[in-house]
Amino acid sequence: MAFYADKDYTVDETVLEAAQKVMQGHLSLNWYEAKTERIAGRASDPRRGLTYQDLDVGSYGYTNIPEDVRTSQSMVSRGSEKVGKLPDMGYVVNRKSDVWSDNVAELYEEDKARRWVPATDIAWNELHAHPLAPELEMACAQLYTLLQECQIVSMDFPSKWVALINQDFLEQKSWMCAQMLDASRLFEVFRKRALYGGAGLGRASVTAEQGLKEWLWADQFPQGSVSINLSLAGFLLVVYRQVAAFAPTKVDREIMRYAMQDAARQTAYGLGQLRYHLKHRPLEASAMEGYLDHTEHALLGLIGSPELLEPMIIICGGGLEKAQVDKGRIATAKFIRLVVREYMERIAAAGLAGHAKRSRIPAMIDRISAAR
Amino acid sequence: MAISFPSTEYFEALKAQMAANEEKFRRLGFIDTTFGVSVGVNGKARNFVLEFEVFDLKKVSEVPAIDLKKVDFQIEGDSRVWREMIENIRRNGEADSAHDLNTLAHFGERLKIVYDDPDGHDKLYRFMESIQEFFDLSSKLEVSF
Amino acid sequence: MAYLSTTDFTEDKDFIDKWLYTIRTGEMDLSWMKSATEKINPEEANPRRGLTYRDLNLGTYGYTDIPEKVRANRSYAPRGAEIPDGVPDAQPWVSRKSEVWAFNTESYYEEAMSRQWNATTDIPWDRLDGIELPEVTGKALSQLMTFLTEVEMIATDTPAMWLPRLNPDFIEVRAFIAAQAMDEARHAEVFRKRALTTGWGLMQASSINEMALKHLRDADSFSEMSVALHLVAEGNILTLFRFSEYLSPTDVDKKIFRLVMQDEARHVGYGMQHFKYVLEHFPEKREVLHAHLDEAENISFAGAAATELTESFIILAGGGLKKENIDQGIRVTTQFNLKQMQEHFERLDKCGMPERKERSKLYKLYEMGRAAAENAGIKL
Repeated sequence: MAFYADKDYTVDETVLEAAQKVMQGHLSLNWYEAKTERIAGRASDPRRGLTYQDLDVGSYGYTNIPEDVRTSQSMVSRGSEKVGKLPDMGYVVNRKSDVWSDNVAELYEEDKARRWVPATDIAWNELHAHPLAPELEMACAQLYTLLQECQIVSMDFPSKWVALINQDFLEQKSWMCAQMLDASRLFEVFRKRALYGGAGLGRASVTAEQGLKEWLWADQFPQGSVSINLSLAGFLLVVYRQVAAFAPTKVDREIMRYAMQDAARQTAYGLGQLRYHLKHRPLEASAMEGYLDHTEHALLGLIGSPELLEPMIIICGGGLEKAQVDKGRIATAKFIRLVVREYMERIAAAGLAGHAKRSRIPAMIDRISAAR
Repeated sequence: MAISFPSTEYFEALKAQMAANEEKFRRLGFIDTTFGVSVGVNGKARNFVLEFEVFDLKKVSEVPAIDLKKVDFQIEGDSRVWREMIENIRRNGEADSAHDLNTLAHFGERLKIVYDDPDGHDKLYRFMESIQEFFDLSSKLEVSF
Repeated sequence: MAYLSTTDFTEDKDFIDKWLYTIRTGEMDLSWMKSATEKINPEEANPRRGLTYRDLNLGTYGYTDIPEKVRANRSYAPRGAEIPDGVPDAQPWVSRKSEVWAFNTESYYEEAMSRQWNATTDIPWDRLDGIELPEVTGKALSQLMTFLTEVEMIATDTPAMWLPRLNPDFIEVRAFIAAQAMDEARHAEVFRKRALTTGWGLMQASSINEMALKHLRDADSFSEMSVALHLVAEGNILTLFRFSEYLSPTDVDKKIFRLVMQDEARHVGYGMQHFKYVLEHFPEKREVLHAHLDEAENISFAGAAATELTESFIILAGGGLKKENIDQGIRVTTQFNLKQMQEHFERLDKCGMPERKERSKLYKLYEMGRAAAENAGIKL
């Protein structure tokens, strides 16, 4: 075991005496006059219920969390009275600007309110009622295979970091739990769709996975968040919108409409976190630029992956006939430009206004236009 | 009696339908966004601002121009495209694949999404199901153009 | 960066030329269409239940056929996909099925998904308007809520730490853990919200219980973590939720405890099924798990001295601070403590570890406590 308690309590007289005293009716009531703020929180809007925003008050609120959390390394709930010797939980993220986003409480509440259930909210039997042509079904299955890979990584990122983040950032950690469930749900729906159509899964993507691992394994949370919550989520948001627009079945459209909601919340956090980080730590801009310079190539690993590109062309065109492929590749070219445009917009909006000029990505994408 | 599109009466009628179908919108979850709708009519634009909060459309207003800093995003398009969308909704009970907001706006070629801040843009997608269901309520109205 | 992709895609001329060529000409490789993967035709066994993971438990995609040692997949590929050369190693720590598996894992997940509730809107917070609990009850309730919100996030942090360490082939287990993380965040939320609506706010942290939390977090293996968390800690908490529902001073509190106990029972269910599975399929672990339980139970002993929890419970159970209230509170709290320990050993027994009683110091304490309670006329 990595941790043993400071005593063997089964032989510790103090513990046994303390317990016996209480059970004999001699209450210490040490906690009765806890030195904490009195509050009777209420919902500001009864239709919305009692939100975290309603309880953003005084020492309990998140607005008042300082930039550097120095006084708490345990699981103690923010605002409660700390007594006795508290263990150190080993948090490595203790600066608010490393994790915070001004919209995090709002996103957590919205996530809970807008939840859906893949098993029952999708009209699965429609797929069997209206089966697709084999090449189209195979293209869907391949795309959904890649999307599962993306969701494995999307689930791993928050779960990898949540226990390392100071407990005072409760709302942000709660949001990360919501993200884990979102990723699990999306993985589930993509897997169910891929398998229910009858084509089986496709092939994992080497280029996508190599890039995803590089993003997932970022050393620091803000960098990882930009990659996963902004770059990856932004890419996926456009994928979902594209597939919804060209959906070969009602089921695919339904899936993607739900998926885009989840992805857009993720990009909202990703943008918000980067914005907060750079606003409060402007000196980090240069390091973040350097990080992006080095890692955004992974976006090409996703975009250019044949396991994405080719199924996308087939889905957007509707099949493998020449006219269909032409239609599909034109739509896919537009998709690629949209991904990059929105990525650059978010990066600029977060505070790195000049990034598009120094990035290597736009020049690659311009070659699509030149090639047409 | 038919309601004219575009008009505040049209959006007020959708608002009433939304309230009458509260359970459906409640199940979809909170919708907290303010967006603009701009309809091009004979070279001029008629502009509306829709404020959604919690589960309802709170307020509709027609404005001479939409300040992009005061809305999350704006959906703009020629009246012919809007008409095609609404007629499709009325025919099918809901927008089909080729006529839902996402499809029409996706490449910005038929409807266009404009915004000041990408964070505002993302709200279209965060609340897409609710916004689409809102416009799909046109199936319950008599609309004239 | 801790990992660098094997290629910088902006400098990989072949890669770039290939996809530009595809976009320009429409000529596609299509080798993925020949993926050597199984074709299956799943059906919804029960359309009212929808399409479940159980319906997809077929062939190489299913969980039944996951081998004991997952050798074939260490990447981010979903189970059953074709895995080409060149995919990265996701570096999973756990690739042994019996280390993580539980009967019915997929059902626990599907149940979790369908039974998600919302602490913001599913609790009738407005019914607290105008309710003013007596000071002693309000403070005791706040203290109980403070303890509960404090301990809940460990049940998120701890399994979440293990999630990315599990081989991606264990889809259903990872899904269950993601659902548990959200369940626990919701519990931390609802207890915090309740404490902050009492008029008293949060009260005192529990240093002794924090030690228990640290122990949970620092387990050496998934099984040890699960035994300590799902079986011991959550088992104890489930009993606490049931008693708390019984003692709730308002119907709002009753509703809170009814909802949280549903989630908790699911976690304990997984814990029991996992424990059974480990003992049946990984028998070498038995002694390791005994050693882990020795320490988990050591910390349970310490919990007896967490007066901030015990005293608040006594006050809620007895209804006040007068002698007769405290006497009644002690009777109920004694029943609760004994029930907690009894159920702990019942679970271990049912899961295939009946011999735990013989070596457990906690069991001796339980026997002594039970005898003393019977002498005092307290029925279990």
